[in-house]
Amino acid sequence: MSRFEKFLAGWSFRGSTPDYEPGDVLEVMVTGDAGGETVARIGDSTLRIEDAPDDAVNTRIRVAVETWDETAHRGTGIYRETVGGSAF
Amino acid sequence: MIDPQDDDSADRVDDEPPDEPPDDVQPDRVPPDGAPPSGGRESAGDPVLVADGGFGDESGATNEPRISFYGGKWASTIPLAFFIVWAIFQSGVLGIGDTNGLVIGALVGTILGMFFARGDWKTYADTIFEGMTQRVAATAIVAWLWAGMFADTLQVGGFVEGLIFAANALNVGAATFPAAAFVLCGLLATGIGTGYGATIAFVTLFFPAGVLIGANPVLLFAAILSGAVFGDNLAPVSDTTIVSAVTQDADIGGVVASRFKYAIAAAIPAFAAYLIAGSIMSGVSLEGAVALRESANALGLVHLVSMGTVILTAVAGRHIVEAISWGLVVAVAFNLAFGLSSVSDVLVFTVPEAGTFSSLPFVAVGETAGVGGSLYTGATGFFPLIVLTLLIVAMAQIMIRGGGFAAIQEFLLNSVATNVRRAELTMVLGTATINGMITINTAAEIAIAPYIARIGEKFNINGYRRANILDANTSALGYIFPWAGGVLVGYQVMVGPGGLGEQYGAEMVVNPIEVVPYVFHGWFLVIVFLLAAITGFGREYIPDRISEEVSRA
Repeated sequence: MSRFEKFLAGWSFRGSTPDYEPGDVLEVMVTGDAGGETVARIGDSTLRIEDAPDDAVNTRIRVAVETWDETAHRGTGIYRETVGGSAF
Repeated sequence: MIDPQDDDSADRVDDEPPDEPPDDVQPDRVPPDGAPPSGGRESAGDPVLVADGGFGDESGATNEPRISFYGGKWASTIPLAFFIVWAIFQSGVLGIGDTNGLVIGALVGTILGMFFARGDWKTYADTIFEGMTQRVAATAIVAWLWAGMFADTLQVGGFVEGLIFAANALNVGAATFPAAAFVLCGLLATGIGTGYGATIAFVTLFFPAGVLIGANPVLLFAAILSGAVFGDNLAPVSDTTIVSAVTQDADIGGVVASRFKYAIAAAIPAFAAYLIAGSIMSGVSLEGAVALRESANALGLVHLVSMGTVILTAVAGRHIVEAISWGLVVAVAFNLAFGLSSVSDVLVFTVPEAGTFSSLPFVAVGETAGVGGSLYTGATGFFPLIVLTLLIVAMAQIMIRGGGFAAIQEFLLNSVATNVRRAELTMVLGTATINGMITINTAAEIAIAPYIARIGEKFNINGYRRANILDANTSALGYIFPWAGGVLVGYQVMVGPGGLGEQYGAEMVVNPIEVVPYVFHGWFLVIVFLLAAITGFGREYIPDRISEEVSRA
């Protein structure tokens, strides 16, 4: 991202339920491990992550989106790799 | 990537989506007591997706409290809670803006908490070390040391005198003086990174000049405080900017760039408000020479280049240590090349007797041996804050290891921050509340930063956005209320020994409570972020873009 683009980023009214498309590769924070399902809540949208490590919660991972329901703002994805942890 | 219009379909508290299973098979939520979730999906392999984002994550072996307290996990909050009460009493009730005093409060709180720890106190003591050695504290400390040296070098290089020259050259009158003070103090604070320092410099030099030519003292003081808010909020070398970035895993240059939109959205109406109020509110009648204006020095404005060097280098993605180092090199070069300061103003070794080295430009003969100059005072000026920071992160670590942190976080996530909009409002109002109470704003920011990080991460809110929410109220509320540190340092210049009151009379002293409504930029910044949380203006998620610098910090 160029210096100029950094200043322009975020000049918009962003929705609370971002949507993604199959094939998108995202870097996300894993937010929960509920009932055996590893999930990342992005705003009020939810991405269920398959094949994630057992200790994935509160780590930052790369995930490939497999399916996405734009009505329910939910989807599934496949774990690729762990790239970091929580900020604190 | 598709970015739809906002909707509230995911608010799982007020409006259950129609496709949700009944309550008795709802996905796990963490009970308020932090016990492992009791519910759960009937089938882990079921393709139906979870609905709550999976907040039921804090149980299990990875989060077992390591320190057990008499009184349960809430007792682990005693050190930090005691410190907050101390800070409120010291700064809020007694009006004492002394960071060293807060250090003692943190020490006493840490000792007090130890008496509630069960078993061997070694674990408790080890946790203090564990907290202090966290990267977040070290990163902030390094940045502060560099920023301090840069800021003081600009001060000795006559940057303030340059700004006074600019005001003279622009022929600023009584009505427009507050608006000019807002802009110029904002420039100074953006350059030197300390709103307190900018407030002291401007109240000392600029405030009496303005009052003497007929500007309203209350409005002028408030305008100076607004400028301090602007700089504290936006400057890459500001202590609050640094804390906001490093605690949210975001690079400082990127944070400054992303913060610009909020700062401008508040600053433009604030500037207009000062122009309007300046033409309405009359000044006081004071006779006196405007000798202060004789201190104006056009050459001091070269430090706009020093300041620009830091900002542009940081925004370009270079490490903040590198960015400030370049700014420091440029500032020292300008000081020496233009005669704005001597070598000894920047660095001086003072010896009691002349000797072999006393002819060197950075060696002086004086009564007391010591080291001085802007590099020395700039770095050492942050020592109390550094010690306080280490103690606060240690207390926070005790709370984490004792389970109190998770308990508060679970309460917020399960009961308050139940969707992204509420989460952001919780972050905005949480920072406002803590900064309204602890008025030494960097201390307040460090205390609330872990919650902003965790609550924001639970909704994948981008580190830039989290850092901006964290810093806005920290900067704003530290300069609005009468007990705020920024207001107190300015007031001290007026009422202290040899202060403006003694020099010019009571008309030159402003009651701190009178300025509260007129710190326009501070109020507008709070309003901008409340609206941003509600409308989604500026909101970015973690998948949108990745911070660049922290991994190299």
